[in-house]
Amino acid sequence: MYTSGQAVVHPRLSVLSTSSLPSEHSSLGTASSTTRFSLPPSGSSTPVPMPTSASTLSLSKTPMTAVNLVRPNIYDRPLNKTRTSEVSLAAFTFLFSEMIQYTQKRVNGVADFERKLNTLGYRMGLKMLELHAWRTEGTSKAPKRETRFLTVLSTIGNVMWKAFFGRAMDAIQKSVTKDDEFMLIENDPAITKFISISKDMGSLSCSALTAGVVEAILDGLGFPARVTAHNVPTEANPNCTTILIKLDRSVLDREEALK
Amino acid sequence: MSHHLFLLSPTDTPIYSLAHQSTKSTAPSSGSTLSSNLPSWSTAPFSGTLTALSGAQSVGTASTQNGAPKIGAGQDRHVIQMIANASLDVIEEMMVSNSAMYLKSIDKFNEWTVSAFVTPGNMKFVLLHEAKNDEGIRSFFMEVWELYVKTAMNPFHRSDRTIRSTVFDARVRASAKKWL
Repeated sequence: MYTSGQAVVHPRLSVLSTSSLPSEHSSLGTASSTTRFSLPPSGSSTPVPMPTSASTLSLSKTPMTAVNLVRPNIYDRPLNKTRTSEVSLAAFTFLFSEMIQYTQKRVNGVADFERKLNTLGYRMGLKMLELHAWRTEGTSKAPKRETRFLTVLSTIGNVMWKAFFGRAMDAIQKSVTKDDEFMLIENDPAITKFISISKDMGSLSCSALTAGVVEAILDGLGFPARVTAHNVPTEANPNCTTILIKLDRSVLDREEALK
Repeated sequence: MSHHLFLLSPTDTPIYSLAHQSTKSTAPSSGSTLSSNLPSWSTAPFSGTLTALSGAQSVGTASTQNGAPKIGAGQDRHVIQMIANASLDVIEEMMVSNSAMYLKSIDKFNEWTVSAFVTPGNMKFVLLHEAKNDEGIRSFFMEVWELYVKTAMNPFHRSDRTIRSTVFDARVRASAKKWL
């Protein structure tokens, strides 16, 4: 096991990169034919300077500075939350819209779309969970993990959501009919504030991203579950979104045993 | 006093390991080893491993030179790895009900004591040590955790890939020197 054999690739970590190879070519082809201001035009008269000549030019002018430049190391930076480490909603919305456009080019169908957004969220959630835990427990003498499902659920809905998105979930509910289903309800999720879904997309909920975050948090803490996001528009809250958690049977059995 | 640290991903893939030779002299924990109850296996092809597993100290190059790492009984790399792996069962059993991240002295095997640290993201840090040093190990784990979180924040890091950063390695070594 400790020999450098081929590691088992976690299926959740490679969905985006592997499953969309054939379609990527066609989308890239269309992208290059349109004019984009971030790329140099293909038939332009001004030649793009070659990187080698550019670097030698700058080296001949200032030979010492290029050598002395040391990149700041990630291990030198503090992990603590500061006021400057907060990201504005505008910046996040821009990034999220790019993520959605990127994903949309590589999917067919709403279900596939949501699954990929969920995967992106999953990878975010793994990091968010670890970072959040470090910020709250990192200075503690005896750091704790959550081990009971209900405490985890309320921590996600209240403490974590407040830390990630600035406000807590509006409601946390348990399904009346099924004992393995739980719901986190947000009346007006900040991340989908500027998104309107076109008619042909039907039931798409871009909160699939946050569903992925929730899934990663639950998975990390040892509560495997399937988490999905659904639009539940009401009169007062047209953007109301429910994050539905369907727990694995093993979790329920364990909770029962721990009682 | 040697220490062995393993970082295991949620899928139990080892992503980092470190062998640390401590300079601090602490009295080794004395305990009867399994070997006293077993016959000697001198002729078997697996004799090295078997004597190592049984904890016999008298084989081959087992003598401890000053400062030099011990080779032989109970100190073989594969035996160490096996002990670390075997402790995973205990860790997984404990982490269901025990909410502490730092699980001290969860397992014993011959001269080795196993301590573990489980992060919320289900990463497991396993440390094999010979002497009791709860407070030092706790501080060590906390520093390794901080370093790990920083590594995990890197978008190019994947939780099932080995950590190859030399800075990470240097920081963990410095931390081990300080606390162990």
